[in-house]
Amino acid sequence: MTAAVLPLSPFGGLRRTALRLVANPRAALGVILVSIAAVAAIGAPLIAPFEPDKPDFTVMLAPPSLQHLFGTDELGRDVFSRVVFGARASLFVGFASVAGALVVGTTIGLIAGYFGRWVDAALMRVMDVVFAFPSILLALAITAVLGPSLGNAILAIAVVNLPIFARIARAQTLVVRQLDFVEAKRALGFGSANILAKTIAPNIMAPIIVQGSLLFAAAIITESYLSFLGLGVQPPTPTWGNMLRSAIGFLDMAPWLAWFPGVAIFVTVLGFNLVGDALRDLFDPREE
Amino acid sequence: MGTYLLSRAISLVPILFGTSLISFFLIRLVPGDPALALLGLEADGASIAALRTQLALDQPLPVQYLTWLGRVVTGDFGRSIQGGREVLPLIVGALGPTALLALAAVAISLLIAIPAGIVAATRRNTAADYSASFAALCGLSMPSFWLGILLILAFSVHLPILPSSGYVSPRTDLLGFLAHLVLPAVTLGAALAAATMRMTRATMLEVLRSDYVRTAHAKGVPRRRVIWSHAFRNAQIPIMTLLGVQIGQLLGGVVITETVFSWPGIGKLTVDAIFARDYPVVQGAVLLTATLFVLINLATDLIYTLIDPRVRLA
Repeated sequence: MTAAVLPLSPFGGLRRTALRLVANPRAALGVILVSIAAVAAIGAPLIAPFEPDKPDFTVMLAPPSLQHLFGTDELGRDVFSRVVFGARASLFVGFASVAGALVVGTTIGLIAGYFGRWVDAALMRVMDVVFAFPSILLALAITAVLGPSLGNAILAIAVVNLPIFARIARAQTLVVRQLDFVEAKRALGFGSANILAKTIAPNIMAPIIVQGSLLFAAAIITESYLSFLGLGVQPPTPTWGNMLRSAIGFLDMAPWLAWFPGVAIFVTVLGFNLVGDALRDLFDPREE
Repeated sequence: MGTYLLSRAISLVPILFGTSLISFFLIRLVPGDPALALLGLEADGASIAALRTQLALDQPLPVQYLTWLGRVVTGDFGRSIQGGREVLPLIVGALGPTALLALAAVAISLLIAIPAGIVAATRRNTAADYSASFAALCGLSMPSFWLGILLILAFSVHLPILPSSGYVSPRTDLLGFLAHLVLPAVTLGAALAAATMRMTRATMLEVLRSDYVRTAHAKGVPRRRVIWSHAFRNAQIPIMTLLGVQIGQLLGGVVITETVFSWPGIGKLTVDAIFARDYPVVQGAVLLTATLFVLINLATDLIYTLIDPRVRLA
């Protein structure tokens, strides 16, 4: 990420940004796909025709039909209802882990960039160490040691994303801290905490939000990896990843068990990637 | 160059120190006695007491860390709880299949990504560009294990022409090895291809706008030669850098692909060890993979510097 940034009031043009985003067909498609996933997650109890955990041994491994749109699994549970409820865990883990990483990582980057010297060196070396691990491996190691659960999956995904936000925030802070309006506030006697929170932070958020939208997509994939390996959210709570894990045993008998949760992950991640790409282009001065 | 190399090598020291600390504390984070975690629940009291002394568990944490580090740097990663084999040979043995899989995945990704990226850049804003770019975005959005499952469904279940999982050594049966390699290599290569294609397209677009390409066109150099000899040659540097980074990332990606296809590499070894609570293997695999990851990234930086001296001077 280059340090040549930044529309200095990214939120001032929020309405204009939203309009330009929706005017871009790819971004509009992304917004639609993300909205479908969000509506499924929020309205799951209203949308799902069956309880996601309720077995029905009379319709085990039934193929897709009008009654069970996506078929049923090995316990006769309705796959459509489980996919709809699965959106909750996937989006919640994605949102919570990216939000956590964004807040903590950006704070670390702000402090490192603003204070410089040994504070910068110490904080960024710690971030370098976290960055030195392949992200999936580190997330796996954390959940393996702490135990598989929703909270630990969120923590693991947040930790592996921390350095990305910290690096971007630091690079932006290094640029902004030298600008006149920051110097002016310093000369007026404002404290470092005030300058960081009220002056620098709002002016470095544009690239961080863009990165956040792209990392949201990556976080959903990482959550699905952890669940697929049995280290994420545990059954019977449905997640797209743990549904695919169960599907492996029935590929020849009931391939639909693998189709629909996979399509759900793919479509949601594609949506976030489309929005993220469009946001990045929107904030990239070279695209002007 | 020597000074640059030295400074880069020195910069690795704190990172390697940090990775060793994280690997060390992984076992300490497991609830309960680390000696019990390392020996397994069925260990007898005498063995646990002996290991506690060996690991200096009655000493302060810094002493424990230094004792552990001293053993690790001499290649003593302890013994696997399952079977009692030494950890280091286990990990080294798994690196071979992982390297073969990674190599095949990189080859497949380059075969797809470079031509697709060049076509997309040279025919910007045409149907070919939109299709290639959208396919790349789809590749990036598809979880690799799902692609693996779809490939198994297509080529092992519905059209049974390729094995769904397993590994055959190339030394004993080359054809069998290749048959087992295809599906995992395509699975792993697809995501790589998507990222490489996007980078190739973006870099080629920049290079195609440069003055020397315009001059070559003006001089009447054939279009094919301008693209391959002038433009692509200069676009290779960032593509190679991305490739280096991706080879490092492959160390993470193989965890999933090897698990789906039961490929006996470092990724499957790690996942199996996690489920068996075989913490010496988990600790060793995490430390060695992270070290390898750091060294691959360093090698990428150095190759980049060798190819493009401007980086060194900057």
